[in-house]
Amino acid sequence: MASPDLLFNLRNLFYLGAYQAAINNSDVPGLDADAAAERDAIVFRSYVALGSYQLVISEIDSSAATSLQAVKLLALYLSGDKESAIVSLKEWLSDSAVGSNPVLRLIAGIIFMHEQDYTEALKHTHSGGTLDLHALNVQIFIKMHRSDYAEKQLKIMQQIDEDHTLTQLANAWLDIAVGGSKIREAYLIFQDFAEKYPMTGMVLNGKAVCCMHMGSFDEAETLLLEALNKDAKDPETLANLIVCNLHLGKPSSRYLSQLKLSHPDHVLVKRAVSAEDNFERALQAVA
Amino acid sequence: MLTKFETKSNRVKGLSFHPRRPWILASLHSGVIQMWDYRMGTLLDRFDEHDGPVRGVHFHATQPLFVSGGDDYKIKVWNYKTHRCLFTLHGHLDYIRTVQFHHECPWIVSASDDQTIRIWNWQSRTCVAVLTGHNHYVMCASFHPKEDLVVSASLDQTVRVWDISALRKKSVSPADDILRLTQMNTDLFGGVDAVVKYVLEGHDRGVNWASFHPTLPLIVSGADDRQVKIWRMNDTKAWEVDTLRGHMNNVSCVMFHAKQDIIVSNSEDKSIRIWDATKRTGIQTFRREHDRFWILSAHPEMNLLAAGHDSGMIVFKLERERPAFSVSGDTVFYVKDRFLRFFEFTTQKEVQLAPIRRPGSVSLNQSPKTLSYSPTENAVLICSDVDGGSYELYIVPKDSAGRADYLQDAKKGAGGSAVFVARNRFAVLEKSSNQVLVRNLKNEIVKKSPLPIATDAIYYAGTGSLLCKAEDRVTIFDLQQRLILGELQAPSVKYVVWSSDMESVALLSKHAVVIANKKLVHRCTLHETIRVKSGAWDENGVFIYTTLNHIKYCLPNGDSGIIKTLDVPIYITRVIGNNIFCLDRDGKNKLVTVDASEYIFKLALLRKRYDHVMSMIKNSQLCGQAVISYLQQKGFPEVALHFVKDEKTRFNLALESGNIQIAVASAKEIDDKDHWYRLGIEALRQGNVGIVEYAYQRTKNFERLAFLYLITGYMDKVGFMCKIAGQNNNLMGQFHNALYLGDAMKRVEILENAGQLPLAYITATTHGLTEIADRLAAELGENIPSLPEGKARSLLIPPAPLTASGDWPLLRVMRGIFEGGLDATGKAELEEDDEAAGADWGDEGLDIVDASEAMANGGDGFDAEEGEANEEDGEEGGWDLEDLELLPEAETPKNAGNARSAVFVAPPPGMPVSLIWTQKSSLAGEHAAAGNFDTAMRLLSRQLGIKNFAPLKPLFLDLHMGSHSYLHALATAPIIPVAVEKGWSESASPNVRGPPALVFTFPQMEDRLKAAYKATTDGKFPEALRQFLSILHTIPLIVVDSRREVDEVKELIEIVREYVLGLRMELKRKELRDDVNRQQELAAYFTNCKLQRVHMRLVLGSAMGLCYKQKNFATAEHFARMLLENNPNEAQARRARQVQQQCSGKKDSSELNYDYRNPFVVCGATYVPIYRGQKDVSCPYCGSRFVPSIEGQLCTICELAVVGADASGLVCSPTQLR
Repeated sequence: MASPDLLFNLRNLFYLGAYQAAINNSDVPGLDADAAAERDAIVFRSYVALGSYQLVISEIDSSAATSLQAVKLLALYLSGDKESAIVSLKEWLSDSAVGSNPVLRLIAGIIFMHEQDYTEALKHTHSGGTLDLHALNVQIFIKMHRSDYAEKQLKIMQQIDEDHTLTQLANAWLDIAVGGSKIREAYLIFQDFAEKYPMTGMVLNGKAVCCMHMGSFDEAETLLLEALNKDAKDPETLANLIVCNLHLGKPSSRYLSQLKLSHPDHVLVKRAVSAEDNFERALQAVA
Repeated sequence: MLTKFETKSNRVKGLSFHPRRPWILASLHSGVIQMWDYRMGTLLDRFDEHDGPVRGVHFHATQPLFVSGGDDYKIKVWNYKTHRCLFTLHGHLDYIRTVQFHHECPWIVSASDDQTIRIWNWQSRTCVAVLTGHNHYVMCASFHPKEDLVVSASLDQTVRVWDISALRKKSVSPADDILRLTQMNTDLFGGVDAVVKYVLEGHDRGVNWASFHPTLPLIVSGADDRQVKIWRMNDTKAWEVDTLRGHMNNVSCVMFHAKQDIIVSNSEDKSIRIWDATKRTGIQTFRREHDRFWILSAHPEMNLLAAGHDSGMIVFKLERERPAFSVSGDTVFYVKDRFLRFFEFTTQKEVQLAPIRRPGSVSLNQSPKTLSYSPTENAVLICSDVDGGSYELYIVPKDSAGRADYLQDAKKGAGGSAVFVARNRFAVLEKSSNQVLVRNLKNEIVKKSPLPIATDAIYYAGTGSLLCKAEDRVTIFDLQQRLILGELQAPSVKYVVWSSDMESVALLSKHAVVIANKKLVHRCTLHETIRVKSGAWDENGVFIYTTLNHIKYCLPNGDSGIIKTLDVPIYITRVIGNNIFCLDRDGKNKLVTVDASEYIFKLALLRKRYDHVMSMIKNSQLCGQAVISYLQQKGFPEVALHFVKDEKTRFNLALESGNIQIAVASAKEIDDKDHWYRLGIEALRQGNVGIVEYAYQRTKNFERLAFLYLITGYMDKVGFMCKIAGQNNNLMGQFHNALYLGDAMKRVEILENAGQLPLAYITATTHGLTEIADRLAAELGENIPSLPEGKARSLLIPPAPLTASGDWPLLRVMRGIFEGGLDATGKAELEEDDEAAGADWGDEGLDIVDASEAMANGGDGFDAEEGEANEEDGEEGGWDLEDLELLPEAETPKNAGNARSAVFVAPPPGMPVSLIWTQKSSLAGEHAAAGNFDTAMRLLSRQLGIKNFAPLKPLFLDLHMGSHSYLHALATAPIIPVAVEKGWSESASPNVRGPPALVFTFPQMEDRLKAAYKATTDGKFPEALRQFLSILHTIPLIVVDSRREVDEVKELIEIVREYVLGLRMELKRKELRDDVNRQQELAAYFTNCKLQRVHMRLVLGSAMGLCYKQKNFATAEHFARMLLENNPNEAQARRARQVQQQCSGKKDSSELNYDYRNPFVVCGATYVPIYRGQKDVSCPYCGSRFVPSIEGQLCTICELAVVGADASGLVCSPTQLR
């Protein structure tokens, strides 16, 4: 019998968005050095995902492993120090010794994705190597509306481990992105997660997005309200609730104000703001 | 062969199943007849009156009788109920080989070594026919199950078929009884009642057995030539059909199987053989080591066989009868007659899905054993023992239901058991290597995983997990993590039943039910003496299961009981309330309705749902002794208390539950010493002094009473007791009380009165009561006792009591729900007691907590405030450019140090969905959703002449905002906005983009219209106007699917436009206070709008009133007439008629610009009539009409379009563009 996968649980929690649970359950006994490094990276990435940037920046000192340094860069970037983060990121990447570190490349991909420089992001991530990297590739290609490329990346992931949580997730993302009958499959994937693991806001949101795309906004609303119960400040939940309520003809302004207050950088907020501008401009153009 | 029961005994020569009860008779070579219960495995009775071996035995089909025949030449008829031999039939002259009752006539047929077969009437107890012709021992004789035939086998190497129809005729005409007697003699010498029909020759040795086929004209025989022969007969002749060779020694017994197309034979070669009756080949052989077989018997109804051998007998069946089934949601999938079927519980509809493959080989037990269903793919896995264990995978197309002809190639494979473990995954057990192969629906191996324990079978255990069953334990194994999630010792589990929430699992083995949770933590185990067959969880978490003959329940705490007795085994598929759905052995779905109240009651108790318990007590007749003892046993005496009427039980329960008040009430009723005594003890334990006192009083136990008073400090009462003791001449008691009181004087007095003068003297002296001492000394004279010397004296004073304040304080306990509801009568009695007893124990406050208070706080809903979107101005750039601005600059190679990037060229970005939307469409709404506001505006301007976009701004923004949902992907990476498309269907192909799903839809408009109508009816005109305007503003942006809907939209615009115009005039009229003429005009114009009848009536009513007041009688009369034409209600009609009467013939007092005889439209801006023929201009969007001077201005009705502008017309559906 092959050795049990000790980090299985932790990884799943992280991928499914149960960051605090991942942190709380990170004390896994009997890890070898590689696994421990992976564990640390996951824990710090969880902190970043929770928004505890300063904690990550101060916890990771200069002697830490490359992968952790990379996570620190991400925290730096997200905390607002974009320029210096990118400068040192580029420096790290050009270093042949550490430049191929998969976590570093992953972080590079994420940061350049935030910068909307997908070409630069892909430059570092396209060769893959870990499921994380492939999953990020899938995401980048979806963002670029190149589902054909995303599908290729997914095929690679499926060859590596078809039942892996990340493979399944990436599959669901792609299914949603291409739409049509695939939406049902994405829904089933999220449904599987819901049955197998503790329900997270991410899974609920995934299901809700599928529901919305299938036209069942009522069900989506139920799911989103459940997600809101779990985390009243989750930006995706709020954003999706706004969309869902709009379709249901229900008032959504409260959620919008909440989202604007808590996450002024959210895509939906940005879109709303730019749309208003756009409206004024269009008005002038037409007049 | 599945052995059900085995006995050890002397050689078994005869066997007979009871037709209904699970009993079997075995006649032994030793002369004993045994009656066994083969289900329970117990010997019920033995009948020992024959002398020598008993070779034949048979149960009667309906009466409590059986017949036996032995080597003592006697045929005995027994009543097994009375355990008596009723009578003996004498006549045979040698050993009797077999005896058999006729299935309807009162006959017995017997075969004997005296070469005859005799038929007896067991009612008249006479021999009615002797069948002669065999010229050697007759080894067996039996009636045909339907026709008037007898078949016999003899050592003369022949099988004979006898026609007994003449006998039947004679027996149905009872007139010739005497005649028959005389005929007896002739019968003996070959009479005509029974004649040989056929003589079947072909065996080379003596024939041991012959029997009829139950339905076909076939006979099977077995002989000492080791052969089994099949014979066929018709009306005129009989002939040999085939010979079955294979037995190695004399064939002792052979028969056709009643339900399957097989022949069963047994032999002195120590084997039982099963033959295919059609192909006439051996199917299977069961051998015993040492025992020769002598007899076979088949159960008349069930699929059971029995065989007798040298050292006992066995009861067995040949094939499993359990249908393979699997429950999924509201349906059970099962296999019946080579078809996969399903049954819906709610509709009770049965549907045949698809045929399944017939196994290639003919051997037994090849039918489907287990079935696993995957709801997501509608796929079914069927496992059977074919080829040493194999599975077949069927994927059932959703629409194939009912198409019986549909046969597909099932995907097959070898494996002990196979179950679905996740979507598109099933696990197959490979026993040889002890691993599972995870396959996908294409039957390709996806993964191999070794199992942690030596596994015999696998079961589903939640997504991605397996429940592995080994010899002595089960484990739950996560295939992905390769981790054991739970383990439990449970020997030889056969079936696994999960609850619907997958929280609990029941493991069924042959004689036990083990309940565990999802981590296999043991909850309880139930042992059964007979086989456990099936089970299902009900919705309350009670496990309902069946044994061979019972439906039983098991509560979460392990309590179990019988719900219902069963005649035949059933397999439970689903429990819904009182209804138990099950499959029987023929694969039929059945519904058994049971009384669930007992276990629901017990469950409610267990969960402390006393409100439930209470309502059940009130509404049903549950109050049996069994329930009370259950309650008592389970520690609910306080609940049991409320069931009981018997005072003694009530008293006992009250004491047990410490309910002193009810105990007192009961004790009063019973009123005997023992109960008062016990009440006293309990009251003392609780420190309820009042009751203790009361109990002692009732039992007149003054000593204890006095002592109680002493320790509780009621010294006055002790004194009183002292007095009582004095009255009762209880000296000792009196003295004690005096001691308790510390009253030395009293003591002296008592002693003196008792004549104990020396003691009295000493007491007096010791306490320094010199006067009395002197008096006593005088009385004593000489006999003054000497006082003890040298001892210090001390005053004997009773210790001070700790408290003299009555009852001990008791903790306040929340009263049970029962106390309020059920005990009204008991409490009333108690209060009477209070006063009668005069004690202070009844004043406990009633502190029943009102549980419903806690529920009072409901959730607060959303405020339905119509807040406007909080729009802020931002500095960000155009939203839709973010994707597009990424020009494909990947062509220029990056010169970074990484070798990877040198060869990698990033693909250019694809086209965003929103861009696709705008390319395809010329619908303004879809452009707005895509964020292309400028094109949307241009479209609107071109199509509808709209120039004022300000009212549309929030709509544009909402459309845009609602066009994308947000998918959170990898942690901390930017989220993915996904375009929401319209018209999704299961069959839509991926990557083909549909139009955007807009947040505004036509049905919404209809809802708004209704709301607007309502506001109008209610007279809330500004609100109504706002609603109508919102419809009018939204319509340019909605998209509908069909032409018909386009027309509906256009119709809606007209409706709304009329209302907007009317309402605007009405509001205007309200503003005008002074100009009564203008007011009347506006009211009159309002009536010109096309409105709903209900509104029209209101409008007409108001116009009529207005004109009447201003004495414009002709106009008022006109309105009254119109009102009457519009189905007014009673009040309106009366008013209209009055107005009509008053106005008829009168003229208007002032002139209005209103000529109802001349058709007109009202100008939307100036509110003046435009009579037919006059020039006007209209709004390109809403179609409102205006006087020409308004041209070029913004339409005052819709507020959007410019009056008189050029426009192509409303486009709101893609169908308009084709």
